[in-house]
Amino acid sequence: MGMNIQEAMASPLVWHPQTAAEAWQLKQTYGTEGIYTSGGTLLRTQWESGISAIPRHLIDLSTIRGLNDLRIGEAGLVVGGQTSLQSCRSNTLLSRHFPMVSEAIRTIAAPSVRHLATIGGNVASSIGDSIAALLGYDAEVIWFDGTTENRTLLSEWLPEASAAKRGNERLLLSMLLPFEISLEETSVKHDDKDLTMQMKRFGAYHKIGRREAFTPSVVTACMNGVLTHNSVIKQIRIALGGGQTVPVRLEKLEKEINGAAVDGHLLRHVYERIIELFEPREDLFASAAYRKSTAANLIVAELWKAAKGETKPL
Amino acid sequence: MSEEAVKSETPYVLRCFVNGKEESIHTTPAARLLTIVRDELSLTGTKRSCEIGRCGACMVLIDGNAVNSCLTMAYQCSEKQITTIEGLAVQGMDPIQQAFLEEGGFQCGYCTPGMIISVKALLDENPDPTDDEISEALSGNICRCTGYGGIWRAVKRAAEGRRQTT
Repeated sequence: MGMNIQEAMASPLVWHPQTAAEAWQLKQTYGTEGIYTSGGTLLRTQWESGISAIPRHLIDLSTIRGLNDLRIGEAGLVVGGQTSLQSCRSNTLLSRHFPMVSEAIRTIAAPSVRHLATIGGNVASSIGDSIAALLGYDAEVIWFDGTTENRTLLSEWLPEASAAKRGNERLLLSMLLPFEISLEETSVKHDDKDLTMQMKRFGAYHKIGRREAFTPSVVTACMNGVLTHNSVIKQIRIALGGGQTVPVRLEKLEKEINGAAVDGHLLRHVYERIIELFEPREDLFASAAYRKSTAANLIVAELWKAAKGETKPL
Repeated sequence: MSEEAVKSETPYVLRCFVNGKEESIHTTPAARLLTIVRDELSLTGTKRSCEIGRCGACMVLIDGNAVNSCLTMAYQCSEKQITTIEGLAVQGMDPIQQAFLEEGGFQCGYCTPGMIISVKALLDENPDPTDDEISEALSGNICRCTGYGGIWRAVKRAAEGRRQTT
C-alpha cells in the first residue's frame, strides 16, 4: 500500500519557531497558506475527511519555549497552551483545584489522542470540549497580538477568536485559571461570618455525546456556584456548548437567579430561559431544539441535586 | 525573524529509534507515522483502519505512551523511541500477548496489535489498574467482533501476571 491521497499531495513545510514572535511573523509571512499547529490531531482528521486542504506551511507551536507545562502563577494556575491533554488529565494541581476541567478532558477522545492533542489546540478550535469547563471557572487566556501578550476573559475571547479573520490574528499562548476565593473570604465579603459554615460550593460538568465513550459532543454543560444552607444561590456560572457550537456563559440567566432560592418556580424559570438564551448549532444528528432541552435538563437537574445536597462539594 | 526558527524541509530525513534500532528515514515532514512504519519499514503488524484516530488499530508506543500512528506526523517523531507490536516480541512473546491468547482476547485479530500496545502502555504506567482505569485506557481501541469480554479478561490476567512476578 502506498500513501493516501492527501499524502500523495505536496507535503507542507513545517516551521519550528522558538518564540511567539517568530511564530507570529511566520503567520504574517504566509497568511492563509500557513497554519498554526500544535498536536495536529484536529487538523489531521480535517485533512483526512476532506473538510480542509493541507496547507503549504505548518507553523509548529510545540517548539515555543515555556508553553508546555502547568505552574502556579500570581493570579492562578497557568496552563501552557502546548501542554498535552493527557498531561493536564494526570496533573494533580488541576484535578484538585479545577476538577471539572480534569473531568472534561477525561471525556475528550482517548488517552492515545490526548498524548498528542494540546489544551491550547482544544481552546483555539473554539469548539473544544474543555471550553465549557474552563468557562465555569472564569478562565482567562493569554494571547499574543504580534507585539505584546494580552490577558482576556475566555468568555470575551471566544467570539472574537472564532471569527476566522480575527482568529488568524490571535496566537493563543496559555490559559489562566483563577483560584476560587475560599468560602471564608466569601463570608467576609458578605459581612456575615456565620455564613462560612453554612455555604457550600457545588458544580458539575457533563458531556452528552452520541455514544458513551470516545464521542464528539452533542452538548457540554458546566455549572459552578455557591449555595447557602437554605438553598439561596450566592454565586453561579453556567456555561454551555457542544458539537460545532462555540461555548457561551449564560450571564443574563446567572444574574437573574443570583440571590434567589432554588425551588420549583426557579427551576422552571432556569429551564425556560436556557431554551430561550442558548443558541446551539444543529447538524444532521441532533437538532438545535434537542440540544437546548438537553442542556436545560442537565443544568436544572444539577441545580436541584445541589439544593438537595446530593452533589459532592468541590 | 530570528535565525533560530528552523524548518523541516521536503524531502525530510526522520531520525528516530524504531523497536530499539536507530533509523534514518527519507520521507516528508507531515507524512503519517502509520505510512512510515508499514510502507517504509514493512512493520505491518500496525494496522491501517479508520485513519482518523478513532479505532486504535494503528496504535504504537512513542516514548512509552500509546499514540495513534495515523494522527502522528513524521516531524513529531524526531529523536523519539517508537515501539510497534513487532518490538514487543523481540525476546519471545510478551506476557500481554500470551494473556490475549489464553483468554481468547481476539477473534479476527485485526484490532489486537493496537489493543496490546494500549495495554502495554497502561500496565507500564500503572501495574494495578482499576476497572475504570482499564476502561479509560482502552477507550480508544475498538473491536467489532469479540464483544470485549475476552479482551477484558486478558487485561486482568496480564495485570495479575505482572503482580505475581514483581
